[in-house]
Amino acid sequence: MFTFGMLDGALFHIGPIPVDHIIVTQWVIIALIGLVAFMATRDMQMVPRGLQNAFEALIVWTYDFFTQLMDKEHIAKKYAPLLSTFFLFIIVSNYSGLIPGAGNIPGYQPPTANWNTTLTLALITAITVQIAGFSEHGVHYLGHFISPSPLMLPLNLLEEITHPLSLFLRLFGNIFGEEMILAFMLYLVPFFVPALLMGLSVLLAAIQAVVFTILSASYIATATGEGH
Amino acid sequence: MGIALGAGLAVSIAGLGGGVGMGIAGGKAIEAIARQPEVGGDVRTLMFITFAFIETLTIYGLLIAFMLVGKM
Repeated sequence: MFTFGMLDGALFHIGPIPVDHIIVTQWVIIALIGLVAFMATRDMQMVPRGLQNAFEALIVWTYDFFTQLMDKEHIAKKYAPLLSTFFLFIIVSNYSGLIPGAGNIPGYQPPTANWNTTLTLALITAITVQIAGFSEHGVHYLGHFISPSPLMLPLNLLEEITHPLSLFLRLFGNIFGEEMILAFMLYLVPFFVPALLMGLSVLLAAIQAVVFTILSASYIATATGEGH
Repeated sequence: MGIALGAGLAVSIAGLGGGVGMGIAGGKAIEAIARQPEVGGDVRTLMFITFAFIETLTIYGLLIAFMLVGKM
């Protein structure tokens, strides 16, 4: 029922690439987010009303939030779209596992309960951090690897690896563990108790999305910040 | 037998450490909010981030346990 992300039977192939249920679920999630965004921006007006109004308020709030978090306004403006996309994708993915029955029907697990998805997200963050550092400081960015002294080079390099690794394992472990515990509880006590756990999962899924976003933002802020 | 014991120990030891850490962090956060209620929002955000960090270590233990159980 649960795999550690090994391909448990591809649905179909696109050329040489096997496509399994995780990827199809992600397509559905992307289509859903895209559809809501399209509905909000379909006929934009100077004086926003309804959905457009709500989205504009949300975007302003997002920029303010990231500016406060990352100190530099131009950096926050540049990376806020990416970070917000992380947040939206992760939270919708996490909640897709809470649709009644979804976790227990083969092929309907949330994509973030699979290590392929979370590793991809963490790698995007890792590469973005390096690009952000180089585009902000140029060649001087390399200097931070040997600060405060060249002796620290191995530790600094290790840090660049452990940051994405912990991002990847945190998200995967939390959602996978939550799904496993829910399935186990459903097997032990079929009534009432799993509902309480699902209530806890609603909170947990949101917190994990927030934590992934905030940590990514703070890694980018560290790479682009002053002090090296 | 050995694998089952190992899986149990992985979860219980990781849970023990994480529980103590979370208790200390949560207690201090509540203390801070009680002393200075106007910074409640900031402290709450920081507390949840700290919890996520601590929880990760516990989750590592849980993952190892799942892997061990899968090997049985």
